[in-house]
Amino acid sequence: MWGRATAAAIPGFLLSAGVTGLVCWLLPGPWQSTLVPGVVAFFAVWMAAMAVAFQFRDGKRAWAWLGGGAVASLGALWLLQTLQWVC
Amino acid sequence: MIKLKSSTLRTFTSVHTWVGLVAGFGLFVAFYAGAITVFHHDLQSWQTPHTPLSAEQGLANAQQLLDETLARHPKAREHVGMVFPGGEYPQAASYWQDESGTWRYATLDNLDGSDKMPGGALSELVNELHYTLGIPVAGRYLMGIVSLLYGLALISGVIIHLPRLADDLFALRPGRNLKRFWQDAHNVIGVLSLPMHVMFAVTGALLSLAMLVMVALNPLVFRGELMAALGPAMDTAPVATAAGREQPMGSLAMLHARSVEVARAQGLASFEPAYFKLAHAGDANATIEISGESPGSLGPVGSVAFNANTGAVLATQLPGSRDANHATLASAYALHFGEYGNTWVRVLYFVLGIGGAFLFYSGNLLWVESRRKRRQAEQGRAQAGMARATVGVCIGVCVAISVAFIATQLAQWPALRIAGDHELTVRVACFVTWALCVLWAALRPPVRGAQELLWAAAITTALVPIAHGVVTGAWPWLTALQGQWSLFSIDAGALAMAFGFAWLARATARRARDGEPNSVWADPRARAAQVASTLVTD
Repeated sequence: MWGRATAAAIPGFLLSAGVTGLVCWLLPGPWQSTLVPGVVAFFAVWMAAMAVAFQFRDGKRAWAWLGGGAVASLGALWLLQTLQWVC
Repeated sequence: MIKLKSSTLRTFTSVHTWVGLVAGFGLFVAFYAGAITVFHHDLQSWQTPHTPLSAEQGLANAQQLLDETLARHPKAREHVGMVFPGGEYPQAASYWQDESGTWRYATLDNLDGSDKMPGGALSELVNELHYTLGIPVAGRYLMGIVSLLYGLALISGVIIHLPRLADDLFALRPGRNLKRFWQDAHNVIGVLSLPMHVMFAVTGALLSLAMLVMVALNPLVFRGELMAALGPAMDTAPVATAAGREQPMGSLAMLHARSVEVARAQGLASFEPAYFKLAHAGDANATIEISGESPGSLGPVGSVAFNANTGAVLATQLPGSRDANHATLASAYALHFGEYGNTWVRVLYFVLGIGGAFLFYSGNLLWVESRRKRRQAEQGRAQAGMARATVGVCIGVCVAISVAFIATQLAQWPALRIAGDHELTVRVACFVTWALCVLWAALRPPVRGAQELLWAAAITTALVPIAHGVVTGAWPWLTALQGQWSLFSIDAGALAMAFGFAWLARATARRARDGEPNSVWADPRARAAQVASTLVTD
């Protein structure tokens, strides 16, 4: 249970940041215009991610999947920002 | 009928149980104190010393306070905020940050300013219990974590209830199986008020953790540019720098009238200015942002920014014509505080708030009930401990808040001549009462403690309108006749709650006497007395 709980808190947080960030930056218009809705949505997304963490059979799997998702989403966001494909 | 794997059900049942137990106590306090805070404006009139009819301040008083604040406090010339008197707030108040960054507050009665927010100790105490449990600094973040766990408890609760959600929605089965009855009550309240609970979990986490989370999101998502973008996303007036040239400021009456005029021109039926923010007062680049309410919108608070000297419009963020940032912010606040719609929305929030408190209380009772040893009178230490903690903390805070109400009135009674800090008196009364209740519950058998504390809650809550009447002469029948509904609603609400506590105390006594004997809630002595008296009468 503790493995999955820490996965909910740490990689769950990072994955939610990546997913919310991607949506905010990919929407048309500058990222500043979806700032507040993005921060509000982040909390709902994080709560969902925490629930997902407990769906995995054990802590290791939860860490691997959520951590992988976090790296992928934050990496994609960073790439899009660096290439200036989003603004 | 939705099928779920039994392992999924098992996992989420234990997630729900543990998250509920950890967050349940905090949530009970937050909901009980929050339900009262919904009426904080009424509470502010109830707690301030008042003759049955006290005069309201107007715009001229606001102008006087602003002039005095700017003349006396150089830092206020950079940035100052003020509430307009009348309507939302009974008296004008100004606030600014001094050299060390501390907020200072001034009113016409205290032009030199103080560190304490005007409005009174009681409403501020109840509000603090709501969002910090009364713990300084860390309490706010603690309640933010509680909000996150609350969200997780909602999701896991819905998942484990999902297979029977539709079938059992309107089932409330009283009878011998008490666990079934409590489970039904817990489920039906949880499901019917789910949208409200989801909203509170998200906005509660937002209000207490937003700053921390934004610091973490800034480098991850926003390339370190978040803090610079926050101002334009949340304020209406554009950020201006002082020109260094002096220019006299326009009058508040003119700017007040201009804000109403601009809102009307944008098609709003009404705009009631409530507060403003003024930057660089006395400078050529002075800006003022006037915020006010327009009914009929989910986020009723909008604002108009002017050049504070000329009254020329700089920007507007009004309902119907504002950007996504301002619309979301205004709605998130209004949804959390129930500040859209009329009095009935607030009454609904109060009822849902008390219902929420019941949800967490019943959750703890269910934990005790499902671990009950059915074949022996002696119950485990964990069950008795949980029962004691639930009774002491939850019923204790109800007693403590009612005692704080009484203390507020008694502390300002000239007949008693209570010297010293009024605010401190009220706080000490509240927290000492709460501690004594927890101690009492820890020392008594759970079922005895529950009855005694429920009677204590009933009696103290019934004393609230009496203390108010004795000290101020504003008895409920007089305030009702004079149409002072703010005062009347607090007293009437207290009376209704007192009856509720008394009813719960009687129900607990009945259960102790007639209910299942093998439980922490059974009282063998009450049962024996009952049997003895029937033998005598037979």
